Amino acid sequence: MTAADTREPLPGAGPAPQPQRRAVAALRLPWLYLVSRRVPVALGLLAGLAVLLWSALYWHWGISGGRAAQQFISLTIETAAAAVIAVTTYGPFGEPERATGRWLPYLRLGAAAALTAIAYGGLAAAAAGGPLPGGTLALLRNLAGITGIGLLSAAALGGAFGWTGPLAYLLVTEVALTGNPTTPWVWPARPPHDLGGALCAALLFAAGTAAVTLLGARDSGRHSAPE
Amino acid sequence: MTAAAEAPVRPAPARTSRLGPPLSFLRLLRIELRRSAMPWLLPLIAALFWFDSYRPSTGQPPLYVLRTFWNMGQGHTIIDFGPFVAGLAAWIGSRDGRRRTADLVTATARPRWTAQLATWAGTAIWAVAGYLVCTSVMFAVYASQGVQGQPPWWWVAVGATAVAAFSAAGFAVGVFWPSRFAAPLAAFGGFLALIMSSQTGFHDSTGWALILPTNSNGNFQPDSGLLYPWLPDLPIARIMLLAGIAIAALGLIGLRARICGPWTLWLAAAVTAAGVAAAGTAVGLASTARLSADGIVIPALHDAASDRPFSYTPRCGQAAGVPVCLSPSYGRWLPEVTAALGPVFSEVAGLPGAPVRATQVGAVYSSGEGGDGQSMTIGGQPRVLSLSLGNLSLPVGTATVFADQLRLLAVHAFVGAGNGIGTPAQQAVQAALLQAAGVPFAAQPQLLTTNGLPSWAQAASNGPPGPATGPVYAAARRLAVLSPGARHAWLAAHLTALRSGQLTLGLAPTTANPAPKQARR
Repeated sequence: MTAADTREPLPGAGPAPQPQRRAVAALRLPWLYLVSRRVPVALGLLAGLAVLLWSALYWHWGISGGRAAQQFISLTIETAAAAVIAVTTYGPFGEPERATGRWLPYLRLGAAAALTAIAYGGLAAAAAGGPLPGGTLALLRNLAGITGIGLLSAAALGGAFGWTGPLAYLLVTEVALTGNPTTPWVWPARPPHDLGGALCAALLFAAGTAAVTLLGARDSGRHSAPE
Repeated sequence: MTAAAEAPVRPAPARTSRLGPPLSFLRLLRIELRRSAMPWLLPLIAALFWFDSYRPSTGQPPLYVLRTFWNMGQGHTIIDFGPFVAGLAAWIGSRDGRRRTADLVTATARPRWTAQLATWAGTAIWAVAGYLVCTSVMFAVYASQGVQGQPPWWWVAVGATAVAAFSAAGFAVGVFWPSRFAAPLAAFGGFLALIMSSQTGFHDSTGWALILPTNSNGNFQPDSGLLYPWLPDLPIARIMLLAGIAIAALGLIGLRARICGPWTLWLAAAVTAAGVAAAGTAVGLASTARLSADGIVIPALHDAASDRPFSYTPRCGQAAGVPVCLSPSYGRWLPEVTAALGPVFSEVAGLPGAPVRATQVGAVYSSGEGGDGQSMTIGGQPRVLSLSLGNLSLPVGTATVFADQLRLLAVHAFVGAGNGIGTPAQQAVQAALLQAAGVPFAAQPQLLTTNGLPSWAQAASNGPPGPATGPVYAAARRLAVLSPGARHAWLAAHLTALRSGQLTLGLAPTTANPAPKQARR
């Protein structure tokens, strides 16, 4: 028996994998990753938030106050969408997954980017319900920036607590909007075409995505989250 | 005698079992307090509390009612705590469901509902304690800054109950939907509810909407805790509502844990019904509320003793020889008040109806009329100027606006315009006297638009401030250019007609002929 003989299929073994089966096998890992991160539930919540935004715009929900206060309900919904995206980074497997999953960084990056894009698409579609303060450009800036904060929170505090950063930013913004903030870090108070606000939001989104891609959420294998 | 007969008597098992449940609950509670995640979140909440609740209040004058209107009256302390507490309580409440250990712990000795109540209590105790510590520190800082008046303790109790209610509601969300998304759902749902409550509160100043925890209509009157006590009526109703929500949420958890037995089911149903009844009663009570001079009164909860104003020894000063007396809480502004009123009193001294004394009275604010009830009045014999300061722009730094507002209100009362804008002649005389008292014509349109003035001032300004032109200011200029003696004589001759509204604008004096005959009737 030569070494070449060992390459032959054993008697009774299954047929060689077909391209279709290979494609199914290739999709199996991302699908398992998405299910483990409860992405289907997250998609349902994002759809619910889009409906909520549509309702708020269609029935003209608003907060009494100046022009900045008028955008607060839509900003709250955008922040909630960012929080949902951040919470999907929570992984239940911890160290075993980290040790064996060499595709894990790509899956993290892909899931975060895809969910952000889907959330933007859903909320932008919901803007058909009425005039969205700042338009879809401000929506993109707000969603991306606050998602970045959520991903950074997940990397620092744990995926299950990724919602705390966006909520804290929302509270800070609520106070800042009552005045006339000049810092670009409070980008919801800036016009949609403001370069400084867009740069800050983009920087945070990039930092959050990089942190989650390279490190993962804090509780995914490094430390367990408190109960 | 057998050995069995000599054996010591063992404690009665029934007695042990009676002592058992509370002790086991306390042991559970101690474990939950030690392992709770809430303390880890409290530093973040405390930082937000400082930024959102304390920091904006420091720009207000050092009176409790003004310092705490933003953070307690408008409910920002609840906004800072409530959503975070609800989110974390949801995470804690979903623990057994997420870990698939619900069946395991259900089979333990204690009823599942009891264990869940211990878990919730551990969360709520941390949250309420954190709230009380943050509030206490804030009040201690206020006290060190010399803030005057009584702290709004009833509103602190409302905030603490609100935090407990958010924890119970969030915990129920976690129990019923044991998912990683329960926490953000509870947190952002709570936040959205609070800001929508603010929106409803801004629009509805009466009726059931007063019960909403961030509705600021009428709950803080300008002199609450300064000249009269804080009325507890509305806080009691809100505490009833929030406690009812908390009790109902905890009862719902018991309904879900029906595996514990039928008695638990009935008890949970009774608790839920009691919570709903308390909340419904509170809403019903709030719908009977009315605004009084001291705040919101709910007849079924009102204690007449709460209406009694504080007794105090006033602090007095002199303004152009006229005694001016203020509450000690406002004593720090006595120099500004006497300096502001001095030129007005000098201008009207000796004229009929001129005040010989000024004393402070309580201010009233209503959302519909602004500071309508706080116009100064002159009455009594001898004539006394009743001045209310609570709604005015009390000076933190520069006192210019405050002084000008005082002069405007004093002159407005002197010309007899009452709670209205006044006749054109009254407006002209008012403008001329203000000019003589140190408020130039050019600054008067802007002054009428400043915050804190009664609604007639907004009507007089008729939009954004413009130039001081038109027939009223033309007549005022004719009066202002007279010598002080001539102006005094003209006023002495025309005050009766002016106050009765019978003096017409066209008959205002000219420089050449400021004769009293110009007044008809």
